[in-house]
Amino acid sequence: MNNILRVFTTIFFDVSDLNVSLLLSVLQLIGLWRIFQKCGVKGWWAFVPVGRCYQLARCAGREAEAPAYCLTQLVSIIFSVYLLFVNITDVEDNSTKLLIISVILISLAIAFVIYQVRVILGLIEVFGVKKRWAFLWMINETAWLPALIWGFGKQYQPGWQVQDIKAEMERLATHGSATAMDEGLTINLKDRTVREFFQKKTLLRDIHMAIPQGHMVLLLGGSGAGKTTYLNAINGYEKANAEVLLNNTNMYTEYKKMQYEVGFVPQSEMMRGKDTVLNTLLDASKLRLPMDVSPSQRRKRVDEVMEIFGLLPVKNNLVEKLSGGQKKRLSISMEFLSNPSLFILDEPDSGLDGVMARELFTQLRKIADTGKIVIVITHTPDRVIDLFDDVIVLAKDSARTGRLAFYGSIEEARKFFGREKMEEIVKSVNRKEEGGDGLADEFVMKYAEVQYGC
Amino acid sequence: MAVERNENNTNRKLTIRHRGRIEQIGIYLGKMLRMFVYQSDWKVVPMAVLIAGLVGMVIRSRLFINREGTLTGAFCMVMVCIWNGSFNSIQVICRERDVIKREHRSGMHISSYIVSHMIYQALLCLIQTGVTLYVTRLVGVQYPENGLLTPWMIVDFGISMFLITYASDMMSLWISTLSRNTTTAMTIMPFVLIFQLVFSGGMLTLPEWSAPLTNFTISNPALKVLATQGDYNNQPVVTLWNQLNKMVDKEVNVTVSLGNVLDLLENEDIAAIADLRSVKVSDLAGQMDTEASESSTAALQADLAKTMLESKIGSLTLGELIDMIATDEKVQAERDMSYTYSSTVGDLLHMAGEDRVKEILQNEVKDVSYNADYDYTIENILYYWFRLIVFSLAFAALAVITLEFIDKDKR
Repeated sequence: MNNILRVFTTIFFDVSDLNVSLLLSVLQLIGLWRIFQKCGVKGWWAFVPVGRCYQLARCAGREAEAPAYCLTQLVSIIFSVYLLFVNITDVEDNSTKLLIISVILISLAIAFVIYQVRVILGLIEVFGVKKRWAFLWMINETAWLPALIWGFGKQYQPGWQVQDIKAEMERLATHGSATAMDEGLTINLKDRTVREFFQKKTLLRDIHMAIPQGHMVLLLGGSGAGKTTYLNAINGYEKANAEVLLNNTNMYTEYKKMQYEVGFVPQSEMMRGKDTVLNTLLDASKLRLPMDVSPSQRRKRVDEVMEIFGLLPVKNNLVEKLSGGQKKRLSISMEFLSNPSLFILDEPDSGLDGVMARELFTQLRKIADTGKIVIVITHTPDRVIDLFDDVIVLAKDSARTGRLAFYGSIEEARKFFGREKMEEIVKSVNRKEEGGDGLADEFVMKYAEVQYGC
Repeated sequence: MAVERNENNTNRKLTIRHRGRIEQIGIYLGKMLRMFVYQSDWKVVPMAVLIAGLVGMVIRSRLFINREGTLTGAFCMVMVCIWNGSFNSIQVICRERDVIKREHRSGMHISSYIVSHMIYQALLCLIQTGVTLYVTRLVGVQYPENGLLTPWMIVDFGISMFLITYASDMMSLWISTLSRNTTTAMTIMPFVLIFQLVFSGGMLTLPEWSAPLTNFTISNPALKVLATQGDYNNQPVVTLWNQLNKMVDKEVNVTVSLGNVLDLLENEDIAAIADLRSVKVSDLAGQMDTEASESSTAALQADLAKTMLESKIGSLTLGELIDMIATDEKVQAERDMSYTYSSTVGDLLHMAGEDRVKEILQNEVKDVSYNADYDYTIENILYYWFRLIVFSLAFAALAVITLEFIDKDKR
């Protein structure tokens, strides 16, 4: 009976003995219960082992640390419970087991303390109190004191609350769909979610559009709005709950065949620096071009692409010796070899000056003019905006989900947002804490109303 | 041409065949061989020369000469191989993780990529093994002439070293697939090396619970195969004799009482004492006669003693004589009187006969430290080679499985 009680208290209160420590732990949990309520989290989480760590991290705005914080506590509890069943008096028999468990527990304790410090400091920030409170929180025997004071003290209020994401998502729900095109890209994305520990996170939601062939499209959005996630969902690399049709072929069900129809140029130059330009392109052509293309045809195609992108003079140079602009052009050339129908570029102008960027985008415009769809993410759109046909604006709504705030021509975008410059449009949908105007929800709802009447 | 066909997107043929796994192996192998000079990969060869030279100079006087030298030498060679193999591939995947991600989404097969690495790394390991054997021979390591599986021991030994190097190379390749960057890989590496060093199972006495762990180390079959090929069990054991030789000048004082000596001489449970007690005094006198003939003074003394022994107590055995003395009242009264005998270890060895002691020690210790795992048999060697090959394949398979999840990397 005594053992059962000890297991229970170890799991629920982190205390193995039925003494004053148990009472202090109970007091701490009562304090946490109130803190959770103040932060907008259900109070009963305070009594759920491991789960309370996750919720505390959420209250502290430290969700990134939450999984590791919880995991270290979970494993500590498992080993602590196991220790209760090892007869410690039989030191001879159990010395090795105890030694191993002690080593593991010490390692876990160090990791747990580090994560706890991060979470407690986050909580201090949220409650706007002095950092010296951290000392009381960090000591087991005194943690009950700040928990009770912050929980029941009226002057201790959190600066922000954990949102009820579910309610917020319901409030901002929109419905619609894009009609499939025979020639072009049709996207009907219901949502793209990931599971993170105790929570399912929606990264993108309700994005519907149809992009005709030959259009060069600008993809705008603040950081964290889901631009890269969206691009990966379009080309089927990270599948979403969606239907993506390229020239009426499903990108998801026919992914193996369609992956050669999409050219994705990543943000950083992901190429081997120790290889030459020519060999990089020749190897890329072997991977991307069909088997029935002969070596001489492959070589001809590589030469063509090098000429288009001005790489012929440096064809025997090592990739690492190229300039920033040349590296970008080589990176694009690799994808251009297979002549894809859909060309996606993630910040191709990063690190390039205005002249070089303009030159690069002019090249992309020429590619679009051959009947391809070119989608580009850039953070400096205004210097090349005249080269684009359309703009997609993604925004993070108040449920922290990437949403479609606009898709249409550049002129329509200016009218819709009431702003002349693209950078101003991005600013208008960015969150206030990011220096924006915080109008994402309004524009998302407005666009849905204009498009679908809902 | 396919590219031209693609201009009309609506008529695009979706049955176009791209390069499969086998063809892709060629692409990546070619790329790796081409980049060997530009990448820092070539540096592992001179590194292997330096390591082999250093270790060879230390082990050359003992390897294949005696049992202890063979075991420590084999252990050093195992560590050389594991070191070489590990550092060949620990960074090769993680340093180009982003490139792999990009190429994977462009149609690269992970299995082809890993197989091309397996072939490339096998070539590297082969070069390193050759270099290590050459350099160790150059600095004076004497490899036995005849091998068990091939006519040349150096070839047998080379195959073992190659398999050890390759298994650890594949292990590091797997670690490289697990690591997101080179810093992480280089942080994990020392732990792995320490694990291999401690749990080889041959050099350190491990607690019972940890014995199964040795089955998961490359160093365990590696040490066994090299010790086997070094004919460990048939090598002389020299440690104990060497230790005794170092103590020749050490003084030894032995204090005994008369009672102790008599009790010992009366104890027939000891075989040697029982033999001694059964000797007839007259036989002993005859022996004294023979030994004394070498010097005139000794001959005179022996003659006197012989006369005494033959005339009065010649028919008795030594045991009876000892019992007579032990029961004598005067002797009994002096039982507690102690005598101290001083000598050196060297003198004692000389008295007992150095060659005889050496032979006894080596034979006794040889039997005690015999290890069936090191028996000089083809079966043993093939079994250890098989284990090393299984390790290599298992790690390569793990590398493929791990890298298949590369798309899940957090952005």
